[in-house]
Amino acid sequence: MLSRPTTEQVLLSIADNLQSDIVPVVHDEPAKVMLAMMDQLLRGCAQRAAHEIAWMHEEAEAVVAAAQPFAGDRAVAESLAVLAATPDGLHLDEACARYDLASQVLSAAIEAAFASGDVAGRTSLFALLRARNGHELAIIGSLNLVGRG
Amino acid sequence: MHDLAAMPARLAAFLAAEHPERTDVDVVDYEVMTGGYSRLLHRATVTWTEGDERHSVVLVLRGDPPADKSLIHTDRAVEWELLRALEGRVAISRAHHADLTGDRLGTRTIVLEHSAGISMLPYVAEHGEPVHEALTLALADAAASYHTIAVDDLPASLARPDSWDAYLDARIDEWRQTALHHVEDLPVLRYVAAWLNAHKPPPVPLALVHGDFQASNLMVLPDGSIQMLDWELAQIGDPREDLGYFKAVAQALPPDLLDRDVELFCQRYRELTGFDEAQVNPIVISYFLILGVIGTVRRLLEGGAEFARGDNHLLMSLFNLNSIQFGQMMWLDASEGLEQAFAAAKGA
Repeated sequence: MLSRPTTEQVLLSIADNLQSDIVPVVHDEPAKVMLAMMDQLLRGCAQRAAHEIAWMHEEAEAVVAAAQPFAGDRAVAESLAVLAATPDGLHLDEACARYDLASQVLSAAIEAAFASGDVAGRTSLFALLRARNGHELAIIGSLNLVGRG
Repeated sequence: MHDLAAMPARLAAFLAAEHPERTDVDVVDYEVMTGGYSRLLHRATVTWTEGDERHSVVLVLRGDPPADKSLIHTDRAVEWELLRALEGRVAISRAHHADLTGDRLGTRTIVLEHSAGISMLPYVAEHGEPVHEALTLALADAAASYHTIAVDDLPASLARPDSWDAYLDARIDEWRQTALHHVEDLPVLRYVAAWLNAHKPPPVPLALVHGDFQASNLMVLPDGSIQMLDWELAQIGDPREDLGYFKAVAQALPPDLLDRDVELFCQRYRELTGFDEAQVNPIVISYFLILGVIGTVRRLLEGGAEFARGDNHLLMSLFNLNSIQFGQMMWLDASEGLEQAFAAAKGA
């Protein structure tokens, strides 16, 4: 396969061409709103194409480490066991499935931390949520609710 | 409404049947409006003869999109009944007619008067800082105007929760259930549910909640008061949800009138509702910035899940997920900020 230009470059180019060549000749207001949404989505897809498998893998590793102090909780232990038994593939479907399992570990650990009143544990898990959201914000860029107001 | 070319004639026939005293009903202008994400919005200029005079009015048609393009599912009959109950008591755009079967206008539709106001965001953009204070007070007046309606005076079609405690518990659990029913696990929602449960505010009487109380649904009238549009998500709940919801959406569509002038807002709102300082203050509003958005969050995530399963193909369902991801930052920020406020209060 040809790996360059990258998927990120292709998607950004499509978004740029929509802006420069298509948007100026569209005068229907609903269509303009839809084009503005497409632009944001395409740029988000470019970010995902560039990083999402690595981000999901890195987040999953961090979740496993942060969940260890809560491994005595039954839900945490069970979700950790399922995750450990799942192969770590690089195809997107495999990466998404494993990321979902890691998310279940994180959710179970969060609920265990609240149930036990473990403030320090909650703080470390909160940092993982922040990191996760940091990736999400990098994907969406600046939120522009086109068509509202 | 799904067949735009046919609508002027259909609307003219509909209005002629609704008003037998009017003759020569003519739809002289008909166009699609932007601004709403969930319903079809069309604007029509209609003329007719009554007595010896020719009249003219601008109407807004608010109808259901085709089933395969529906982002959220709400009932026009419930909305119509509520609008009729609010008429004369709350500043709303008057609902003139409804086609609740869709037989006459092509889809279930409410026909409203066109607002004489200016949408809040362009109004603020045009007038700037000098109007913020007056607008903040008008916002408190608007919210209190329907938050103080006795629940018994509201249509029976709106579900009555058993108690505030039961309602709030169910609302908090909605976060967890939304996460559990999504196409993938959502730890931020599970965190939010646990956090909300650990920090419940003092109760207030249940009341009518608008459900989408944001600047895009608020029109500033010529006298400076605020008219509220789009009641499709209304329900009976904790009225402070609307205050938090307003603040939440204002993070994405500024300005946030409940930031700089929040104390002014709280004072006016407390005077009008009779709530005390423990029930309504900036910290409680921030709590509801999180809690108050779950109804919308659940619906937007359901749309995203349907797309992921291949059950819908709506660009809007994808686009709305951006709001969820932005919202997650707000919820984390708010919970962190409130933890610090609680710690400071404990230290003091």
